[in-house]
Amino acid sequence: MACGSTSLWAGETSWFCCGNAWGPCGSAGGGACGNCQSSANHGAWPNASQACWNITRPDLCGENIPRRGCGAVMNVKHACSGATVCITITDCGPRTKEWCGEQACCNGACRVNRVLDLTPAAFSAIGNLSSGKLPVYIYE
Amino acid sequence: MSTRQDRSGLGRRRFLTTAALSGATIVGASALGGLDADAAFAAEPSLDPAIAKSSFVEGRITGITGSILEVAGSQGGHSRVQMTNATSVWKGRATTAAVIEIGDGLYARGVDMPDGVVAADAVWVNIVNLDTQIRGIAKNRIHLAHGQHELVGNVLADTSASYAGRGLTSDLSRLRIGQHAQVLGAWRPSDDSVDVVRISVGH
Repeated sequence: MACGSTSLWAGETSWFCCGNAWGPCGSAGGGACGNCQSSANHGAWPNASQACWNITRPDLCGENIPRRGCGAVMNVKHACSGATVCITITDCGPRTKEWCGEQACCNGACRVNRVLDLTPAAFSAIGNLSSGKLPVYIYE
Repeated sequence: MSTRQDRSGLGRRRFLTTAALSGATIVGASALGGLDADAAFAAEPSLDPAIAKSSFVEGRITGITGSILEVAGSQGGHSRVQMTNATSVWKGRATTAAVIEIGDGLYARGVDMPDGVVAADAVWVNIVNLDTQIRGIAKNRIHLAHGQHELVGNVLADTSASYAGRGLTSDLSRLRIGQHAQVLGAWRPSDDSVDVVRISVGH
């Protein structure tokens, strides 16, 4: 499936590790879809399934994020630099409800609520891992 | 992309590739660094649009030979990462390549060279960003649950916290047992603990 250009959502993304990995990430496993890898351009979506939604509850932050399951492809664009990365959804997350109101900003523009998690490979393609979070636009 | 970003990105990446290809400008690992990773990448990655795809390397460092890091991938395989004068290094903070050790975990972003080496424009050493729950709080440590595993977080002099999405503060007194916490830090391979750089808790 190709990465598209139809606007899907916008918000804040963080990053996480999954699959075979070093350190504390070694216990992370392959994620909800079973094939998540830190070294691949993968992502976690808060509405990957009903069971996922029940954990993440983005609606409690006013984010009625649509269902996109394992294997969905998204194009993630840094809100300021325009750097993009094409990802495949392989996990459920982040727990949006825990971070209502959290924002990531660049050049004075901010995106609110954590709506996406990216693997280190995907996150580093559009930003700096030590920033921990980025404002992004998401397309499909 | 702004003109400023174009200039900084192109300049940095061209310097990187030139440095990696020429060899003459590569310096020994102990003399590397001096560039602030946060400053260099705060707004955007320095990826040259003329280069279609950046490369990513993940794994444990198994050897350091001059400016080359030997990396064993967690999925198997082996990579060689070339440090250059333009490579930014993070290990708990923006630092230099002199602090990189065999056994460290690594994420690196760079560009493939013709000889198969990845010339790095940024390396992050032992960096973790973990979804945890606070299980205990001591003076210099925070006990965390990460999935099914217990984890010790070392509180450092410059550890900062963010509460409910607000700005960073050095005040850790509002952390509570039971809170979900995002921990950005540096893993210590020697004892499997994590130096906490930033801990964020929600509501």
